[in-house]
Amino acid sequence: MTHLFGIRHHGPGCARSLVRALEELSPDCVLIEGPPEAEAVLAAAVHTEIEPPVALLLYCPDDTKKASFYPFAEFSPEWQAIRFGLQRNVPVRFMDLPQAHDLALRDAEVSAPLSEEADSPDEVAEDDISGDPLDWLGRAAGYGDGETWWNQMVEERRDSESAGLFAAIQEAMTSVRAEIPRKRAPEAQHRENLREAHMRKTIRQAEKDGFQRIAVVCGAWHVPALATMPSAKSDNDLLKGLPKVKVAATWAPWTYGRLAAASGYGAGVLSPGWYEFLWRNQAAEASQRSIAWISKVARLMREEDIDCSSAHVIEAARLSDALAAMRERPAAGLDEINESIRAIICMGDDAPLRLVRSRLIIGEKLGRVPPDVPTVPLQQDLEKQQRSLRLKPEALAKDLDLDLRNENDLSRSHLLHRLRLLGLKWGEVKGTGRSAKGTFHEVWQLQWQPEFAVSIIEASRWGHTIADAATALAIDHAEKATSLPELSALVDRVLLANLPHAVEPVTHALENLAAIAGDASQLLEAIPPLANIFRYGNVRQTDASLVGHVLDGLVTRACISLGGACASLDDDAAAAMRKRILATHQAIKLIGKDTHLADWMPALGRLAVLAGTHGLVSGMASRLLFDEQTEDADATEQRMSQALSIGNDPSPAAAWLEGFLHQSGMILLHDDRLWRILDTWLASLSDDNFTRILPLIRRTFSQFPGTERTQLGARAKYSGSTTSAPTAIATEFEWNETRALKPLPVLEQILGL
Amino acid sequence: MSALRQHAEQLFAHELDELKKADTRQRPTNWNLSPWAVSTYLLGGKLDNGFEVSAKYIGNRRVIEIAVATLATDRALLLYGVPGTAKSWVSEHLAAGISGDSTRLIQGTAGTSEEQMRYGWNYALLLSKGPSKEALVPSPLMKAMSDGRIARVEELTRIPADVQDTLITILSEKTLPIPELSSEVQANRGFNVIATANNRDKGVNELSSALKRRFNTVILPVPATEEEEIAIVSKRVAEMGKSLELPAEPPALKEVRRIVQVFRELRDGITADGKTKLKQPTGTMSTAEAISVLNSGIALAAHFGDGTLRAGDVAAGLVGAVIKDPVQDAVVWKEYLETVVKERDEWKDLYRVCREVI
Repeated sequence: MTHLFGIRHHGPGCARSLVRALEELSPDCVLIEGPPEAEAVLAAAVHTEIEPPVALLLYCPDDTKKASFYPFAEFSPEWQAIRFGLQRNVPVRFMDLPQAHDLALRDAEVSAPLSEEADSPDEVAEDDISGDPLDWLGRAAGYGDGETWWNQMVEERRDSESAGLFAAIQEAMTSVRAEIPRKRAPEAQHRENLREAHMRKTIRQAEKDGFQRIAVVCGAWHVPALATMPSAKSDNDLLKGLPKVKVAATWAPWTYGRLAAASGYGAGVLSPGWYEFLWRNQAAEASQRSIAWISKVARLMREEDIDCSSAHVIEAARLSDALAAMRERPAAGLDEINESIRAIICMGDDAPLRLVRSRLIIGEKLGRVPPDVPTVPLQQDLEKQQRSLRLKPEALAKDLDLDLRNENDLSRSHLLHRLRLLGLKWGEVKGTGRSAKGTFHEVWQLQWQPEFAVSIIEASRWGHTIADAATALAIDHAEKATSLPELSALVDRVLLANLPHAVEPVTHALENLAAIAGDASQLLEAIPPLANIFRYGNVRQTDASLVGHVLDGLVTRACISLGGACASLDDDAAAAMRKRILATHQAIKLIGKDTHLADWMPALGRLAVLAGTHGLVSGMASRLLFDEQTEDADATEQRMSQALSIGNDPSPAAAWLEGFLHQSGMILLHDDRLWRILDTWLASLSDDNFTRILPLIRRTFSQFPGTERTQLGARAKYSGSTTSAPTAIATEFEWNETRALKPLPVLEQILGL
Repeated sequence: MSALRQHAEQLFAHELDELKKADTRQRPTNWNLSPWAVSTYLLGGKLDNGFEVSAKYIGNRRVIEIAVATLATDRALLLYGVPGTAKSWVSEHLAAGISGDSTRLIQGTAGTSEEQMRYGWNYALLLSKGPSKEALVPSPLMKAMSDGRIARVEELTRIPADVQDTLITILSEKTLPIPELSSEVQANRGFNVIATANNRDKGVNELSSALKRRFNTVILPVPATEEEEIAIVSKRVAEMGKSLELPAEPPALKEVRRIVQVFRELRDGITADGKTKLKQPTGTMSTAEAISVLNSGIALAAHFGDGTLRAGDVAAGLVGAVIKDPVQDAVVWKEYLETVVKERDEWKDLYRVCREVI
């Protein structure tokens, strides 16, 4: 005898009734809507260390893009049915269309894009809204939507008499399927026919195997199709000659957020957290249940510093009961509770309720899979490292501050960087905190996504350990890279990820590319990241000397081609070039090699005089020369008067001044020497010249903010020898050497030198 | 009856009667109707005997259900929202539905004193006979307590904070002490308070958290969709036209739709097609204002025009509703006229008359 149990996927009320019904029936065989390939790994479902939500992952090892997830929560009827069978040694079989065919069919359906919807085993919610059978039933019963109606009738009720419930579901679905033809694509219809045919085939097989009491657990939508069996031959004909791919099965941790329909997942339910609560509290009185839930909400509110007293909880519980009574419902459901929380605890405001929604109603639970589940070696390696480094994957976004001087933290940083190379963006660097905490700190934001299970499988073709895979991937990228900045960034990442075997090939590739790269801007852009590595690499215990000679070559070549690169630029290009040159200048100073500076400063000097150079660039070059004291005040003053002299066009002259002042007037306020140069030059102008030059200066200065201009004016008013005096004195200060040396040890300690 | 405006319980006396007859559900003590019937009274619906109850509030059903359930649990109700979202309207009808009387009303102003909230004295009697029950002048709130009825407090946040706090004892202990007579008034069952407050005005007297805790807060939203707003406006305009005895025809749906669209676009700061961003005027552009613009338009059409509402009749009211600040809002309105109204072919008439008005 075959007993059909139509359920809603992830419905706690269904699960409860199902368990009760199974206990009454004590079947000798359980058939569940699920992929037959997964039967091999099913035993893990009763493993002591498994912790839902988890998902069965079926993927094609040759093409990891083809993959399906079958998620289960603790309150999923299928999950309970699997465990029921396995704990009592009752054979459990999966009866859905094998994924070997399903994944292959997806290939064939070129027109139908691969959507999450197609991955789901759910039938009740997967259709378009107008066609959702639950909505039809809900509306017929006078509810706004199917979700509320179903929650009320099935999931939240307490006294469900199991047999009657399933009979009722079967009856309802039969009439819906008969009355309302579903509007769907022919491919989808074909797929459904295939799936139902295979289900029937499995049922027949089970009957043939001599089982007496067969329990069939499937989505409510399928029940009518399984209740009336057409001839075996027609089903077999339908299933003949289907395409096939190789399929492997494993378990992967899942999250409630992913289970929720809010994230666009077709098989989802709106409120997994609430469902889990219902499942856990199935024995409680209805009024107790709402009080317990509101207390949970209250605790959350207090954690988030929102006032919420016990009186609030009492009033919210009373109001939700009153609301339920008014709506003539036996007990307060989630809607009533939410509305009373909004009116009483949130003062009518929606914002705190959104918090409740994400933290409690959906929940942020991440499941766990036992270690001995068959997985790819890469996954096992990752888990081993996660354990030894004490980095637990969590669904909730969390900040992690790593102190790179600490060995464990350094290894963590290496692991995270390696994973990022492999495309697993588990961690996101939020900042190295260089300004605040020194270069030893690295701040990460960690958030585990269930899809990483697929990414790992995808990455596993690169190697069997994280380090190997990342190395192989980096080398492959290096060989395919075509631009210098890309490569130098890759070198940076490889060093951050501490992949010693990749450094050599990647730097080699960099050298090769640098040798043939003629574009000065690319050369310039490649220098700063490398300089970073060169200067700070040793903090991370990576061998930075490797990039040293690459840098030597890059700097020399950049210096040679700099002049050509800066000729005939338009305004935008000049602004970009200015940025690049500034970055490179800082990088070269950071490296601190005299040979580099010896090349670089003359190159800048050439820029400063070059006739065809854009004013912005050449002004900036003059300024850098002045700052580095390569040119003295007289020479700079001469440059200024040349650039701003009347023979020039106004616009390049204004750009020169802009470049010279780094587009900011603040510098004039604080740098006395600069002020004096400008002042001297201005004072040296004859009256006629001054009148002619005034519009130019005005043009530059008018770009500065008003307050700056006021300050500049004030400064000019009191200028003269008095303001410049203090700095002049400061430079000629007579130091007491012995006393000045005293604070140095403390400073060294503070700076960690 | 020649009253300019009738109370809710007078205007809808017939509906309340019918509801009372049909209502078989359990009523809280001193309630005229059951909570279910009260929400039907506000939201409209068809009774079992076929009688049609008109809708007083068009919008989210849940809002009204929470409000009624709150009053049934003896917690006070605070209706919150921007001006013109039918707070006072809902409050009046709730009181009419529950107590059959919406007149126990305290209007909150900056000058509302404690006497108005609690009780005052008939000073002639007080001086001649000393403090006595006869010399006491009870406030509407005090009367509501002893009768077991609903009292209404309008614009709660306008009342000075120290006066507001007299409500705390009344709401938590449900009693009003009269120290002069060494006695007190205890609230009878059925007593409750509906307060309204608007959250647009800044610098009003924010409720103390002790008082806030004694209210359940329900925020009345602006109409969610254009259709909903059009329904509200045409219904109210028709009702008010009737009560003001305006001879003009009820306005064509087209004109209502246009006014509502202007209001919605300016309120949301974006055109209905979502293509153009707009500056928002300083006023609230509430539904209530849209209704009054149409009403004055109808009056104009009736008395000075041919009785049919045309663009010219609403223009003056419309400009007046938008331009609350003569400098800022005039710019906003001109920009709206030139960039949006002018571009719409079928709005040419509106554009022309609006140009003339400015």
